[in-house]
Order: sequence, then C-alpha cells, then structure tokens
Amino acid sequence: MKIVVAVKQVPERDAAVRVAADGRSVDTGDAWTMNEPDAYALEEALQLKERDGGEVIVLSAGPERVESTLREALAKGADRALHIVTPESGAGSLPERDTLGVAQLLADAVRSESPDLVFTGLQSDDLGAGQTGVVLAELLGLPHATLVLSVESAADSGGKRIRVKRELEDGWFQHIEMPLPALLTIQSGGNRLRYATLMGIKRARAKETRAIEAAPPAERHDKTAEIVRISLPERTRQIEMLTGPADQIAAKLAERLRTEVGL
Amino acid sequence: MTSGRLGLEALASLRYVEPLHFSLLETSLLILFCAVSLALFLWRLYPIARNILGAKKDTDFTLAPVGHRIWVFLSEVLCQSKVIRQRPLPGLAHAFVFWGFLAFAVVTTNHLLTGAHLGVLQHTGFVGTFYFWFAAIWALLVAVSIAGLFVRRFFVRPRWLGEKVSIESGIIAGLIFLLMISYLAGFLTSPDGLAIKAWWWVHTLSLLAFLPIIPNTKHLHLVFSPLTVFIKRGEFSQIPPLSESETEEDFGLLAGNDLTQIIALQVYSCVECGRCTEHCPAATTGKVLNPKEIALGVRSYLNALGPASDQPLLNELRDAATNPSPDNPAANWLSMEAAFECTTCGACEFQCPVGVQHLPIIIGLRRGAVNTGAWEDRHGTKLFLALEKQGNALGLSAMERDKFIEREQLPIFDGSQEYCLWLGCMGGYDPKGREIIADFARVMRHLGASFGVLHKEKCTGDPARRLGNDLVFGSLAQSGLAAFSAARVKKIVAICPHCVRTIATDWREYGISPEIEHHSEFMARHAHLLPQQNGESIVYHDPCYLGRYRDVYEEPRMIVAAAGQLVEAERHHERSFCCGAGGGLVFLGEESGERVSNVRAKELIATGAETIGTACPFCNTMFRDAVSAVAGEHPPQLLDIAQLTARALPIAPPPDAHPKTDQPAIR
Amino acid sequence: MSEASGVLVIMEQTSAGWHRISREALAAGKRLAAELNISCSAAVLGSAEVLAPLTTELANEDLSSVWSVEDPFLARYTADAFVASLQQILAQANPAYVLFPHTYQVRDYAPALATRLGEVLLSDVTAFNVSGGTSSFTRQWMGGKLNAEYRHSGPGVCLLSVQAGSFRAETSASSSAPCEIKRLTPQLSAANIRTAPSEPFREAARTVDLSSAQVIVSVGRGIGEQENLALVEDLARVLGAELAASRPICDAGWLPMERQVGSSGQTVAPKVYVAVGISGAIQHLVGMKGARTVIAINKDPDAPIFEVADVGAVGDLFEIVPALTRALQR
Repeated sequence: MKIVVAVKQVPERDAAVRVAADGRSVDTGDAWTMNEPDAYALEEALQLKERDGGEVIVLSAGPERVESTLREALAKGADRALHIVTPESGAGSLPERDTLGVAQLLADAVRSESPDLVFTGLQSDDLGAGQTGVVLAELLGLPHATLVLSVESAADSGGKRIRVKRELEDGWFQHIEMPLPALLTIQSGGNRLRYATLMGIKRARAKETRAIEAAPPAERHDKTAEIVRISLPERTRQIEMLTGPADQIAAKLAERLRTEVGL
Repeated sequence: MTSGRLGLEALASLRYVEPLHFSLLETSLLILFCAVSLALFLWRLYPIARNILGAKKDTDFTLAPVGHRIWVFLSEVLCQSKVIRQRPLPGLAHAFVFWGFLAFAVVTTNHLLTGAHLGVLQHTGFVGTFYFWFAAIWALLVAVSIAGLFVRRFFVRPRWLGEKVSIESGIIAGLIFLLMISYLAGFLTSPDGLAIKAWWWVHTLSLLAFLPIIPNTKHLHLVFSPLTVFIKRGEFSQIPPLSESETEEDFGLLAGNDLTQIIALQVYSCVECGRCTEHCPAATTGKVLNPKEIALGVRSYLNALGPASDQPLLNELRDAATNPSPDNPAANWLSMEAAFECTTCGACEFQCPVGVQHLPIIIGLRRGAVNTGAWEDRHGTKLFLALEKQGNALGLSAMERDKFIEREQLPIFDGSQEYCLWLGCMGGYDPKGREIIADFARVMRHLGASFGVLHKEKCTGDPARRLGNDLVFGSLAQSGLAAFSAARVKKIVAICPHCVRTIATDWREYGISPEIEHHSEFMARHAHLLPQQNGESIVYHDPCYLGRYRDVYEEPRMIVAAAGQLVEAERHHERSFCCGAGGGLVFLGEESGERVSNVRAKELIATGAETIGTACPFCNTMFRDAVSAVAGEHPPQLLDIAQLTARALPIAPPPDAHPKTDQPAIR
Repeated sequence: MSEASGVLVIMEQTSAGWHRISREALAAGKRLAAELNISCSAAVLGSAEVLAPLTTELANEDLSSVWSVEDPFLARYTADAFVASLQQILAQANPAYVLFPHTYQVRDYAPALATRLGEVLLSDVTAFNVSGGTSSFTRQWMGGKLNAEYRHSGPGVCLLSVQAGSFRAETSASSSAPCEIKRLTPQLSAANIRTAPSEPFREAARTVDLSSAQVIVSVGRGIGEQENLALVEDLARVLGAELAASRPICDAGWLPMERQVGSSGQTVAPKVYVAVGISGAIQHLVGMKGARTVIAINKDPDAPIFEVADVGAVGDLFEIVPALTRALQR
C-alpha cells in the first residue's frame, strides 16, 4: 500500500512565543519540531507498512527549515519525502494562506503520487484548527474518517477496502468501512511513538527528498478570514489558595467543581 | 630420614633430594610427554588466541599513561591487592597459591631439566639449599591454602561460585595439592630407591597434566590475566566512541563482529569467581542480570561463533534456532532483559581481580539494541522523546526551571562570575533537587563565591549515554559544549555526580568541557570557612558516580563530620551499594524482584543513625520513597550534604548579584 | 436570490437527548443573533422518528424557525450524508452565520462542508465580539497560550464551531409561543455515501481508563490508612470521577497498579484533577501536569503540588473531603 503522510512543522512546545509588533502575527523563534499528532499519523503509516508492506511518503509544506522534520520522518522509516517549498514570510508563506489554501498545495502534491491512503494528524499544535485532513479529503474527492485508532484491510475485499476503528465520545468506538483510496486523520495516543535512532538517521541520508515549488496563492484562492488581533489570554495559572474552616473551603471548592464539571 | 625423629635438629638435617639417574627411556618419555602436553596446550590455546586477535581493534586504546599501568600491574597482579582486600581470607589463600607459583618457577624448570640430565640447581651449597627451602615453605603455604579453598568451594559452597559444583576446579585443586606434596616428599625420601623416582614422576605428570588443562578451563587466567590487567582501559566505565566510517555501520555491540580485542581478552580471562555478582544490585535483588554471566555469555558466543559472526549477541535479537551459548541458557543471561536491568553502578568492574570491565560491555549491548531501534520500551521511548523535544529527562517545560530560578533569585551567569552553578534535571525540576540547589546557593553566597546559573540548560545526556542512545547523547553533548562556550564558562560546580561525570568525561568525545567539580569537592576546599555543628548521627551513603566513578570519598565525609557524627553503613566507600537510580533506570518502569532502593534504605536505617546524608539528588529521591516504604515508626531524616551545611548558616540577607568586596578571597 | 441573513445553529443529538455542547451552541447562536440584531434559527438532522420530539422541544426555544432535516439515510451519521444534506439546507435557509457545536462529529464533516462552499470553518471558537455591526471570533493558538481574533471576510457564509464549555447553556425555558417547524427531505442516494459505519460499541473488559476520564480524584499518602480511602471514593462517586492514586498507595496494594498516575504509571490530562493528600513529588507531577484544572487539598502549605494547582486548599483532608462531598450532594 502506498501511503502519503502529511506532516506539519510547528514551533517547539516550550518555545517562547511573542506577539509581533503589529499585533497580528507571532514571533516563534527558531526552535521547530514535528507536530506531535502528525508523528502519530506517521507511526500508524509505518506500522501498516511493517505489517503489510508498501511505501510511506512523507509530505510537508514550508520553508527550508522543514527539511529537518522531513529528515526525522525518513529516519523513523518513511521511504521518500516531498517538500513543497514556500517562502519563510510574506506573500505565499504558510501564515499568509488559510486552511483551504494550504490544503490546496498539499492536494496538488498528493495527486501527483496517486496513493492508496493519505494520513494526517488530528490537528496542529500551533493553530489547532483540526481541519486540514478533512479539507484535503474533500479537495481530493476521497472518502475520509477522523479520530482513527487503527487500520486494516477489510475482509473479502481483495485489498480494495479498508476497515478502521474510530473513537467516539465518552468511551464509545465505531468501525467504518470504506473504499480505497481514502484519507484518515489519526488519533494521537493510539500507538506508541518510536524514537529516532542513530541507524535511522544514517540511513535517511540515502533516501530521496523531492522539492516542489508551491503555486503562488493569488491565482488560487483569497483568504476567507483575516486575523484582527493576537493577544495573551488574561487568565494565567495563578493559584487561588483557600484557607480557613473546612466547611467554608468545602463550599468554595464545591462551587468551583460544579462549574468545571458541569454538575 | 625416618619419620619418627622430628624436632629442630631433625628439621635442620632435612635436605632436598632428587633422583640421580634417569635412563634413556625415561628421558625420552619425559621429552615425549612434555611435547604432548605442550601440543595439547597450544592446540587449545590457538583458537582462543585467534578469537582474541581476530576481533576488531580497539580504537580508544592508548598505552599511556604507562606508569599508571605498571603501578596497577604491580599492585593488582604481583601484590594481589584487589584479590585480598575485597575478599580477605580466600583472597589471601589465592595470593599464596599465586606467589607459590612464582616462587616455584625456577624449581619447576630445574625439575624438568633434571630429567634430561640438565639440572642446574645444586642440592648443596648456599644458593641451592636456600632456594629449595624457600620453595618448601611456599609448598606448605600453597598446600594449606589450596586445601582450604577446596573445602570452601566443595563444602562451604558460597553461592557466588555458582549453583553447580565445578569438577574442573576440584581436579585443578587436586593437581596443585599433589604438586606440592610431591615436592615436599623430596625432603622426606631417601635419594636411592624407587620412592624418590616415583615421587619425581608424580610431580612431573601432575605438571604435564596441568598444562593442557589451563586453556580448557578458567585457569586460562594464569596465562592471560597479567596482560589483561595491564592493558585495561584507562578510565572507569570507558565507553568507546562509535566508528564514523561511511562504509561500515557501527551501532555498538550488536553482533560478534563488533566485539573488540580487549573485550575478547577480558572475557577469556574471567575466573568465574563471582565477585561481580556478589556486589551487583540487580543480581542480589532477584533480577535476571548477572554480570559474571554477561562475560561468560560473550565468551560462549566467541567459542561457538567466533569474532567475525553477524549473529546478534542478545538472545531476543537472534532467531530462536541459533543459540551459540548452550551453557548460557537462551532465556536468560545474555539478553536485552538483563542488559537493561543494569544501574551502571560499577561494582562489578570495580571488584574484578582479573581486569574484566563489564560496563563497556553492558552499555555496548544496550547501544546495539537502542541505536537500531530494537529496544522497544514504553518508558525508554518516552525518556528519549522527552530529551529530544524538551531537553530534559522529565519532559517538563523549560519554563518551570525559569520560574524556579526567578523564585530563588539565582543570578544568571554572564561571564563575569567565577563559577557556573549547574542545576541539572533534578536541580532544575525536582522539588527535592531544587531544595538542594537553594541550600547550596546559600552556602556559596555565605562563602562569597561569585556564581551564576545558565539561562537555559539541557540535560547532560547521562541517561541517554548509559542506555546506549548515541543519537540523543551526541546531540545533547554538542549543544551543552556550545552553550558553555558561548557563555564563556570556565568553572562549573554541580550537585549531581551524574552531571559531573558526564560533563567531565563522557563529553570528551565531542570537545573539551570547562573544569567541573562536585559540590562536595567545592565545600571541602572551603571547609575551614563552614560552620562546625554538634549534630546528630549521620550515615553517609557513597553515590556510585561520586565514589567508584570519581574516587571522591573523603570530601563529603568531611562535610558530614562537620555537621554531625559520621556513621558508616555496612557497605561503604568503594563497596557502597547502589540506590538503584543509575543507568537511566530511574526513568524506566517498575523493577522486578526486590527494589534496590529498599535494600539499601534498610541497610542505612539499620545503622541506627538519625539522618541519612546523601550527595546525589537521585540517591535522595530514591531514598525518599524507599525510607517511607521500609522505615518503621521513626524514619531517619534525609538530607543532602548541602542541606546539612546550610542549616547551620546564619539567615542570609537578600542575595545580591555581586559578592561583597571585603570578603576573604576564595580560591 | 435574497441576501443571506440570520444565524443558523446546527444541533446535534445523542441517543440520550441533546449533545451537551449543542445547548451551549444554541445559547451562543441566540446571543450572536441578538447582538447583530438578526434572526436565529436551528436545524437538526436525523430520521423522522427520532427528530419529532426534538424539533418540538426546539420550537419552544425562542427561535424564528426550526428546520427538521429528515431522511432514513441520516439515521446513522456519515460525513457524506450530512454534508450533502447541509448543503441543501443552507441553500434553502441562506443564513449569514452557521454555528456548530465543536463535537467529534462536527469535526468530521464541517470542514468538508466548508470546503464545498469555498469557505473555511472557524473552529473551536471560545468567544465572539460584536461591535459596529461586525463580529470577530476568538480561537486559541499554541495550546491556549495565545488568543487569536478572526474576522470573516468575503461575501460567503461564515461557519464556526464553538468550544465545549465556552458558552453557558441556557437553563430556563422560554415563555414565547413555539415557532414554525420546517421540514426538509434532502436528496440523498446510497451511491453517494461512501463510508459504512458500524454500531457504536464499548471496549470489553477494560476496568480503568484514566486517560479518557474527564474528572479524576487522586489520593496520596496523606490519606494515612486504607480504611480512609472510603472518604475519597465517596467524593469520586459524587463527582462522577475516576479514582487514581500516587505510587505509594498502589505499592501498598490499596489500589490496583492501573490506577497509578505518575512517571511509572499513567499519564492523564483530564478537565479536572483533584489531588487529595498528595505532596506533589516530581514522579507524580509528570503524570498529571496536562490536567486543565488542578485542585489540591493538603495540610502542608509548602507542598509542591500547589505549584501546579489552580485552586489550593490548605487544611485537614479528613474534614474538607467529607464536607465537600456533602456540599456537592446538595
């Protein structure tokens, strides 16, 4: 099975984020890493390949720095990498494109590969819209499922259909069958991530990375929403200390719990 | 000389005699037997030597410092210092046997030459008489010693010598005893007649039987161990760098063809004495790991497959059909399970009297499994990902450390201060580690020492190094060296012996670190400026990475003695028993068998001391849980040496970034 | 074609009535409409039998109209059926704003719907602001570290989904007369529904799943004796919470190992984590630092747990916990 995994490079979780001077963008510094939900998508693809054979191609859009994330994916076992090159900033850069615009870039690259499966993570750690996968499926005209925990070939289908296990709310699950090709967004935590090994890194050097120039956005699509303002949330984790008689404390705690838990 | 007349005159009139006449037949037989014995010896020695010389060359071996090597040789081989000190009575007995062998060298040569009419030592005259008497005394000592060791092995049966009774040991003991008795018989038998000839032949045949047995048993150490001890790696737990070659992939000890000459020589020198096992925290708490069996497992592998094989060394990585170690059961010893139970405490390597260095072997096996991704462990993966992504072993946000620094008002290192105070993962994130840092900072301020902490710190990579992840370790080492260089750090002081060891020694693979010392060494240098307390009884626990690894035993004791009354645990100094955290194990899941930390905690509590003094934040965290698990009604206090010192300091005024100028100069 | 106007809230039902976030979305939709001075309607999709009582209830919610989108193909959710149906209803209702609750289901289909309309969904909105006739919507970035305010641009419909717990659902019933229920039967065919879902099921024989628990009550050494666990169990029951513990409790065998939270146990990230008698050693903290709200009860004001807590109660847990249980039962 040929699987394309779309990954995003995001700022490291602990990177200090500062609102830019114009109040409408963010300075994220220069510590970047693979989006963790996408790492789970990659893991699922690699496990599928290890089980049933095939090829895993990792895809990412972004400036040159994205190559380190692609290399990490190759080191973990992906066979090839596709890099859609966008400028670091300004017109055509990722922050200047919305979800639909980015998905269109990815869709063009995926079409060139004609894969059986396309995987994405559930959402990105930076913007967290959680939509790119589903939008990509719609653009490619593929059936999709989200919050997927496991994938297998459907019985009696000759490898033409798959059966996935999907997570629902409140501890419920569901199986869904669908024809290939299809797109799946993979739930985090379903599998154990693998660590990058020395052997993986060494072997990654011999694997192919193909660079594709991104089509400029002006031809394709106007943004549907603009950022008005970026700000720090007022509420920071300040501890509210309660002292005094037990009953008073209990009353305040009860009120807080009722709000949080929705009793 | 009749057996009835004893007494000093009788003793004085004893003379050593040898047979006077050997027929041509006898001489021919002697030469024939010698040739056969020698041939059998060489026939068995040859494949072993081939296995050793055929192994990979060691890239990190240097003869220098030669003086040190000679000293170690003189002390450990000739004087048998380690053999005796670590197991006194059996050690002394063995030493006598060894010295006896040396003493007999000339006599034995002369003995054989006599049979070919070429005897050199005269039976009369000063030299001859002296020498034969000298040898006789040794013969007695050896005979008594070997008899004692025989009783120990076959009747007392200490468990370190293994479950099965070793028949070969019995045979060897018998032969040695026979050799000595047959020699002594030369003093008590008349020079004419058959008796003397018979005794001569007994002695000769015992000798010639002994020779071929040597390479077929652990007595190979007679041949190898002096060399093995001499060419030991210079550093304790010295981990060789992986080869950077483009053509050959090197991931550690994955298969036979990764074994080096030094490793091969060492495993063939193993005498199976079990001292390593006896002191191993894993082996003594019911785990699979047995350091002796790791060495013997490698030896079995070499005997079965040789040093060029690409069959994996660890059981779990081989396919079930190939078991090159039939006497090292597939299920157990040379396995990933065992290899990952090691806390790298070093007791095994330290104890070994013949120079086997277990740590590079065990860590090498781990490297082979981790660098290839073969080790799939939930906690191990989480640790590696945390080190990679968050730069600390606990997976916490670096902002937590920033908050701590701000709260304690620790000055930031800006190049103008003398010392960089290294927090480490425990000092930066663990509540107890932070208390130790806070107290040590107070001590430093009290001493007027100028210091600062780095704005950002990543883990030194110690857990990655000990678990065999060279990718993560290399990346952390390089980034750490760059950080020190950029901040212009000249001197570092740290509260954690793991950080100290890793920065001082393991980082050398990637560059030169600034000088670094442990806070016990720092405080000891300023002991005269620190308060003397009339404190309670304090039992000091030697951390593995400070004691055995760095040879620092007295400095922390100086601090403890200033704070209260120093009490020693039953196992102390170089025999200190591990707390169980090392080797990355504190970050892995639950251990099997009894908890190592509980065993040591019980030992420390049994001294009756009111306080347990530690010098390592990992020991501290392990004992915190263990003490509450095993202590009864009144558990002892648990305090780091920094806390023991700081508690007697006057309450300091608010800290300022610059030391007072009228303070005494601190060197 | 008349100009797009009004807010349309897409409601979602479970087997046990409305999805909790649906009611919150409805409240948010009504408020948005009120502030923009436009009408608010609601729609619900499903099979006719299921929808009947639901739409009747909705009609009493002070809305200008209620759409009942009925089709047997909508009895079990599939993305294809929902997207096709919603396309049709949007064509009919022609709203300016479409509000969804940010449920698992909405995440599965709403982005596809938006794409078909050439729009991008503003997902997981936590707040909105109306001023001078225009509205802006706030989303969280970087895991909640930043707030980003968006304004919808362009002529098309503005689609947004609201985050659970961001808008308070209305509890009081309305007093006005019920509104019109409009029925719509979408044009759906089996050929256009590509996915075949099974009945939902629960996992067999898993006794404890702390990682999916929304509320956890965790107990530590401060509890003293095994018998005292009953106090904490009562609290957990009243809160509908899972019971967890720090390592020493599990070591002692008072609770099974699978309830251990910490570096050698489970890592959890519930909405609410109540730490009772837990000091906060690092080995425990690393297992629960992802919790949204941490409430800690400990008699030691210097206990490290207070460094990660949002609410800290300093006092005797043997008094506070029973009092809290009683207060919650009222």
